[in-house]
Amino acid sequence: MDKIEHLREERKNIAKTYSSKKIKDTYIDEVTKEYKDVLYVKVKKIIEETNDTKSFILVPDIEKGIKELPPFKAGQYISVRMFIDKSYTTRAYSLSSSPGDTSKYRITIKRVPNGLVSNIMLDEVKVGDGLTISRPTGDFGYNSIRDEENVLGIAGGSGITPFMSLALAINEGIENCNLTVFYSVKTEEDIIFKSEIEHLNKHSKKVKFIITLTREEKKGYLNGHIDKKMLEPYIKEFNTVLMCGPKTLYKSMNEVLGEFNIPRKSVHYENFFVDFEPNDNKTYELKVIMKNDFKVIKCKSNETLLVAMENAGIKAPSLCRVGICGYCRSVILEGKIKMVGGNMEKALLENDYIHPCISYPESNIVLRLDI
Amino acid sequence: MVYDYIIVGAGMGGISAGINLAINNKKVLILEKNSLPGGLVSTFKKGRFEFDTSGYDIYNYGDKEHIGELQKILSKYKVNIETDIVPFNYIVKEEKKDTFKVKGSFEEFIVDLEDIKFGSAMQATTLAKITKEIRWAMDIILKGDIPKEEDYPRFYKYLDYMASDALLEIGFSKEVIKRLSIWWLDVGSPLNKLSFIDFCLFLEKLIFKKNAIFDTKNLDFCLKLIKRYQKVGGKINYNSWVVNIDMEDNIKLVETKDGHSYKAKHVICDVSRRLVFKDLIKKEIKDVNRLENARTIGANGVVIYLGLNKNYQDLGLEYYKYYKFTTLDSTNNIKYMNSLGHNTWIAYVPNVVNNNASPKNTTILVLKQIYFSDVFNNVAINEYEKLKNDIADSLISDFEETYKIDIREYIEEIAISTPFTVERLTSNVNGTMYGYMLKGYDNAIHRILSYEDEEIEGLSFVGASSIFGSGIDNAIISGFYITNKLLGRK
Repeated sequence: MDKIEHLREERKNIAKTYSSKKIKDTYIDEVTKEYKDVLYVKVKKIIEETNDTKSFILVPDIEKGIKELPPFKAGQYISVRMFIDKSYTTRAYSLSSSPGDTSKYRITIKRVPNGLVSNIMLDEVKVGDGLTISRPTGDFGYNSIRDEENVLGIAGGSGITPFMSLALAINEGIENCNLTVFYSVKTEEDIIFKSEIEHLNKHSKKVKFIITLTREEKKGYLNGHIDKKMLEPYIKEFNTVLMCGPKTLYKSMNEVLGEFNIPRKSVHYENFFVDFEPNDNKTYELKVIMKNDFKVIKCKSNETLLVAMENAGIKAPSLCRVGICGYCRSVILEGKIKMVGGNMEKALLENDYIHPCISYPESNIVLRLDI
Repeated sequence: MVYDYIIVGAGMGGISAGINLAINNKKVLILEKNSLPGGLVSTFKKGRFEFDTSGYDIYNYGDKEHIGELQKILSKYKVNIETDIVPFNYIVKEEKKDTFKVKGSFEEFIVDLEDIKFGSAMQATTLAKITKEIRWAMDIILKGDIPKEEDYPRFYKYLDYMASDALLEIGFSKEVIKRLSIWWLDVGSPLNKLSFIDFCLFLEKLIFKKNAIFDTKNLDFCLKLIKRYQKVGGKINYNSWVVNIDMEDNIKLVETKDGHSYKAKHVICDVSRRLVFKDLIKKEIKDVNRLENARTIGANGVVIYLGLNKNYQDLGLEYYKYYKFTTLDSTNNIKYMNSLGHNTWIAYVPNVVNNNASPKNTTILVLKQIYFSDVFNNVAINEYEKLKNDIADSLISDFEETYKIDIREYIEEIAISTPFTVERLTSNVNGTMYGYMLKGYDNAIHRILSYEDEEIEGLSFVGASSIFGSGIDNAIISGFYITNKLLGRK
């Protein structure tokens, strides 16, 4: 018993010899505290890339306390957050600038017919305007441990953006692989980064862009959709394929790649779109239960729960908007939905978690969203 | 509304505390900063692989015959889970020495000790007896009583011993002690820092209660716990990052980053104790800082999660755990663990134990390396990605060279966690995975004995940084034990 008392006394006595000063942050604590999910940036420059595509150079908004932009890996994206007519929404855009220069980010946006955010970005946003964005995130890109040295990029339309970032990174020695990008566009006029591509093709030993036009024939370009014949000369014994573009491109490419026996592990996609056409055209009731509040709103069968919430002014979290990142996850308490695509842990699926960004209602819904 | 208890953090300790309080009809609110429960016990998906962040060795669970404390508590909580027993099935490599296998059972392990030094098996039997005696004495202490010295002489004899000294005293040779210390990384303290009491409590679990792993993913377990917690009346708010705990009045005020505030009679923190005094509580509490400054934050580390596109048999992976040590002498080995790229690590292959670990014809391999000093201090933020990759690269190469197994060409998915990742997700100070280091007068035995001395009005701690140390079992037991104290029962 005395021995126990002794131990307690010893512990007290030892503590007494230590300082009573408040504990300081360690380096890791300090860095972690600086970690910001939300960044405020200003548009420094707008570049007209094609008739329907513009690049935006974003720099830190010092007045809003952002001193520097976080580093990123080529292939990552940011999410732009916007308030439009009382509704809150986000859009994910791949960074198209070099990860070697974090004094600025470049995003490149192509007009989407009836697109809510892209039209505002292209028509209304001016140099000097402030934007709210997420920090760079996402897994797409080259990974020196996972991937082979011979990398084939397959890009369609605005899907060229992450490859431009990767090409610049390779050219600057930040990444080390041989990259051949097959870039499919409708006409010569639709080529984004035309002069940059020409410059890289001329000066880089490790990067090569091969452009194919699907709607016109022109000298200096391949013609037609990317096929086996085009790829054949660039397939080595071991290859890694990175794809970014519309779903139709992935579908046709999977057939082509199948002929080269490229293993599943070597093919990686960036998901950009959610394709879904509901059979009916109904409007359901969506009850959103928040931490200290609830709201009952309308949700159409052709819009995701996320979009319905955004339209109703609910600040629902979102990042990737294609069901991958998990940032929007919520619990469905009542009702039926259809989730289109996405990648969710089995345990979450079994426990009624959903990703509202890819969920379409099939009945009235009660959703728990902890905001 | 004033809650009886607010729990900060839905880690293992926090949920356990929540269930025990809610079962006893208390009004409880858990505030969790992430959108999922579990803390360090979680699952993330990459491609077709689901990687568990913890639970590769769940101590004190056992099986039907060997019922561990954790299993008992979970059955009290009415949380049913499926587990698989982790077999004694490891391979160990000490630098410049031949590899050796730990295969079969603890009994067979002891037979192997006899081959190293004649008489060791006898000493191991003595050690097993001491271990039991210490466990029984400890059970009495945990019930709030004091064991009698005449009944538990060896508990008192060894109360002030460090593990390495006690093992020498029992008569083990240095070579045999090395073998007995291969598990030290699981505790996070070398044998000259670890109290012999703590060592024996650990050994008792290892010998008499079988280690287990979950049959399903970590997240499944976490959600089962939370479902149970909600069923018995507990409330949890996610995306609720506690930034301030106002301790001025009898009713404590807990504020979150998104501007909400909640009231409770008592606050239980399942986050780093150091974080609470450093950042969350403004009021100065007597002697708290001295004690904090006297303690050592546990090790942090890097974990590399690999999804391989071949089954483990064809890859030639036959063991559940692959160890590599610079030296098996833990007192010396820790000195080598103060810099990046040292040669001590553990690799786990969950598929060897659990068929459901990954999709058919694939394998998960998890490589873990631990650091005992602030090796990340000089890392500039723009070098971080490259450094992370370089560490992973060299660990993978070291694994391949050490065990002559090719894995690199089969890597389909890779994820790397660093101390920054851990701190960002869990707020653990310095990104530690162990809470406080078990060391000197800050071993679990000392924390338990001094629990009442160090109690703070209206504030308690559970989880890895509370009293029992790190690990799923310790965290859940801490939640149960401490809430029982609060509820006034033995």
